[in-house]
Amino acid sequence: MTAIDRRMLDRELKKGSAELIILSIVEPRPRHGYEISKLIEAQSSGQLKFHVASLYPLLYRLEERGWLHGKWVEKPGQRRRRFYSLTAEGRRVLARQRDTWKAFVDAMRLITGVDHA
Amino acid sequence: MPDHPTSPASWAADLRARLASLRLSPAREAEIIEELSQHLDARYEELIATGVAHDEARRLALEELREPDTLAHSMRPLRQANVPPPITPGMRRRFAFADLWQDVRYAARVLRKQPGFTAAAVITLALGIGANTAIFSLINATLLQRLPVANRDRLVYVWRGNVGGVFPYPLYASLRDNNRVFDGFAVWGGITASLNADNVTDLVQGVIVTGNFFETLGVRPERGRLLSREDEATVGGHPVAVISHGLWQTRFAAQPDIIGHDILLNGHSFTIVGVTPPEFRGPQVGGQPGLYVPMMMQAIMRPPRAAYSGEMNPDLLNNKTNSWLFGVARLKPGITPEQARADLIPIEATYATTVGPGARATGVAVLPVDEGNPAQRQRMRMVALLLGGVVSAVLLIACANIANMLLARATARRRELAVRLALGASAGRLFRQLLTESVLLSLVGGLLGLGLAWAMARAVAAAPPPRGALPLAVEFAIDGRVLMFSFALSVLTGIIFGAIPARKATRPSMVPGLKDAAFDSAEQGRRVSLQKTLVVVEVALSMLLLIPAGLFVRSLQAARAIDPGVDVDRIVSAPLSINLLRYTSAQGREFYRQIIERAQRVPGVDAASVARVPILNGTSRMLGFLVEGQPGPEADFVFSEGGAITRSRNQINANVVSPGFFKTMGIPLTSGRDFGDQDSASSPRVVVINDATAKMHFGNANPLGARVSFRGQRGPWHEIVGVVGDSKYATLGEEGARMVFMPVAQNHETGMTLYVHTSIPPEAVVGSLRREIQALEPNLPVPDIATMSDTVATSLFAARLGAWLIALFGGLALLLAAIGVYGVLSFSIARRTREMGIRFALGAKVSQIFLLVIRDGMVLVGIGVTIGMTAGFIAAQSLASFLYGVSTSDLATFVVSTLVLLTVALVACMIPARRATGVDPIVALRYE
Repeated sequence: MTAIDRRMLDRELKKGSAELIILSIVEPRPRHGYEISKLIEAQSSGQLKFHVASLYPLLYRLEERGWLHGKWVEKPGQRRRRFYSLTAEGRRVLARQRDTWKAFVDAMRLITGVDHA
Repeated sequence: MPDHPTSPASWAADLRARLASLRLSPAREAEIIEELSQHLDARYEELIATGVAHDEARRLALEELREPDTLAHSMRPLRQANVPPPITPGMRRRFAFADLWQDVRYAARVLRKQPGFTAAAVITLALGIGANTAIFSLINATLLQRLPVANRDRLVYVWRGNVGGVFPYPLYASLRDNNRVFDGFAVWGGITASLNADNVTDLVQGVIVTGNFFETLGVRPERGRLLSREDEATVGGHPVAVISHGLWQTRFAAQPDIIGHDILLNGHSFTIVGVTPPEFRGPQVGGQPGLYVPMMMQAIMRPPRAAYSGEMNPDLLNNKTNSWLFGVARLKPGITPEQARADLIPIEATYATTVGPGARATGVAVLPVDEGNPAQRQRMRMVALLLGGVVSAVLLIACANIANMLLARATARRRELAVRLALGASAGRLFRQLLTESVLLSLVGGLLGLGLAWAMARAVAAAPPPRGALPLAVEFAIDGRVLMFSFALSVLTGIIFGAIPARKATRPSMVPGLKDAAFDSAEQGRRVSLQKTLVVVEVALSMLLLIPAGLFVRSLQAARAIDPGVDVDRIVSAPLSINLLRYTSAQGREFYRQIIERAQRVPGVDAASVARVPILNGTSRMLGFLVEGQPGPEADFVFSEGGAITRSRNQINANVVSPGFFKTMGIPLTSGRDFGDQDSASSPRVVVINDATAKMHFGNANPLGARVSFRGQRGPWHEIVGVVGDSKYATLGEEGARMVFMPVAQNHETGMTLYVHTSIPPEAVVGSLRREIQALEPNLPVPDIATMSDTVATSLFAARLGAWLIALFGGLALLLAAIGVYGVLSFSIARRTREMGIRFALGAKVSQIFLLVIRDGMVLVGIGVTIGMTAGFIAAQSLASFLYGVSTSDLATFVVSTLVLLTVALVACMIPARRATGVDPIVALRYE
């Protein structure tokens, strides 16, 4: 995955997969927005980066759809932060999207001959 | 972070600017700003930690937001964007209008959530407000109507003597030429003309006017031209006419080429030169002349007497004693009606000296046109007061009903209100919120009510009352004034029924309200006693309405039961206005002879005759009356249009009839003979009297052969040759009218009415009768061939309409009151479920509980009935002038109204009472 055009990745993949990415990131445990953006950046080795202007609207949308649940959490001596966790519905959606994505990637591999590194 | 310049607040301005276009709710916006600021803070810290300078770190952090509109763009599809501000009733706000809008939206939501209550309230209000709007539109069409003319404030009516007095033409001319106070002074006289256009002849009402009439009033033509001073040059030389918009529409089918159209008026050719605008309905409110002709055509258009015949002098323009003209004038600027009067009085006095030895100055009256015709207004005012009172009472009952519903509902909402009060809402603010709900309800009801009134106006327009049935030509219309009235009434109504419940509801004792316990006995008790008071008021008001309703229905029954003394089911009448055609006496006599002959030949007709005064249409003719050898004053000729006289010994109701009249009408001959061919112009004068006259003037003596005079002791004397049975003369309501009949052969009159008696249903001869009349004289208008039963129905129309309206409103009031009783009782049963349960548990029988509830309800009803009956008795005294043959304290009416109300109320009590007996003690004791 060397010569991927960053812009193309941004545009095409993010559009189709952003939801999947976010749902995956919060699957293990509730996380706040900054943490989500950092994790995306780190786990994609800096290939993917969500800006504030796109991340939060996405979070709010997923929340409105009932896939995520946002909740203000106060910890002693800290400012309160909003944590997003996966709802039961979100969990079902994530499983379904993973299957679809996997099938899609498999199909792409068969067609394009791009092998998994 | 204390030492560097960035803090959440410093991002807030940037973020707020980017979020502004989204119209998020303030709370949500604050949340988002807080969340994003934290993100930016974290990013900033991270950059600082890697050694980036403060300003650069801030710039880079802000880059996370991309373009200024990126954030808004991605957020716009979200539901949280574009939300209207939350409604938190009771919160203090700075702007009254914002509050109002909030209240209205909240109220709309509350009402939508309770469709049952809302529908019941809206329908109740629609009936109440609709009835009021309908009656107001009637008042608007009569009392409030103003002449639609320019600068009305300077227009005055000018009367001779007292208000309503008329002028002879020469007096008018003298006043017009010698006054110093008018910019214009015009007169008009009423005319009835035979109009023949396109070979159809009918009768139209109109006015004959001076040339300055339209100029003085300031009316402009809709088409063509109006009459002007040019139409005043030569006597008899201006055969032109202006027609009203209404006549143009109906009689001439709105022909576009109407100007220049030739018509025959009273058999003479006239040219139509103009059409008046639709809003102008003549010089006086309530009249609707269809025709305007120049004063110079008086000889043709306005005969000096109703019974005019061709050989008399037709001229009125030089006649100094025949008074027939109504005056209207435009005051010079700055002149008051009083100053005008002071200026005219000496002119009138001078005129009086030129008339003759017996003439006396009578003075003049000058009155602003808006004050109209006081006598007519007085009668209208009484009707308006009566109907207005009735519909106001209906509306008050509706208000009481809804106030009751609101009080009951307040219980359900006490928790909501207590919470809001606890959260700091002011009671005043909540009061306003609740009042907004009431006013919204009543506005919706008012809108529906307006629809009802409009439907009624349409119904009246579709089925207009028969001609002559009502004193005024009334045109119902829902105009701006009616709209304003109904809007104002709706708002007022909402405040009336909403204020007390709202006040009660916003002062709950908060603690029980906040606890889930729904009932606080003391508070509930107060609320129930208020509800009970309202029910008593409702019952009293509906009783108050049932009494006049009963009286009117009884009066109508009494009127229907009246025997008019003629054979109502077999008579047809046809007015023959040959006076309009200027027939001479000889021509007239011949015409009547021929028409009676022709009518008798019509199949199905078994008798025919003519009479001067039509029976039962309200007109009358009074003569002074003196029996030879009996004392009496020097009474002279009296003429009146005011109905039959029944009291004065010295006056009598007169009619001029042809032989066979009594047979035609079915009036029995008691003694003596009918008129016959032997009674001619040259034979001794004879009369026939009726039983009532015989009884009053002769007691048990035989009146036959006695002589009477209509002009005092100087005679001439008329011999009584017959006595006939009593019959009604001008109206059904009159009693014991004394009458004298004179033969037409000795007292020639024109303008008679043809009566025929039929052996078959009378409707069947109407067509042939019309053909016979038109064959004999094509220029004679015969629009009103009517059966006697129609005439009787018309004379009862006003009574029937009144009875119907008031009975309708009385019924409505009864229904509303019954709903009120039912509602309050149901509510009180629900509240006492527990009590009922205990009673059952302690062994109460079903019948005992049933009676307990019934008693509770009927006690209220009883109090209401007693109050209502007392008030009704007092109010009924003022109805005397509207009632026929029934006393205002008619026992049957009071008994029946009371029984009806008690029965309906009993039914309303029984439904909740049955429910109470169904209470299961176990469930009831677990209740709460």
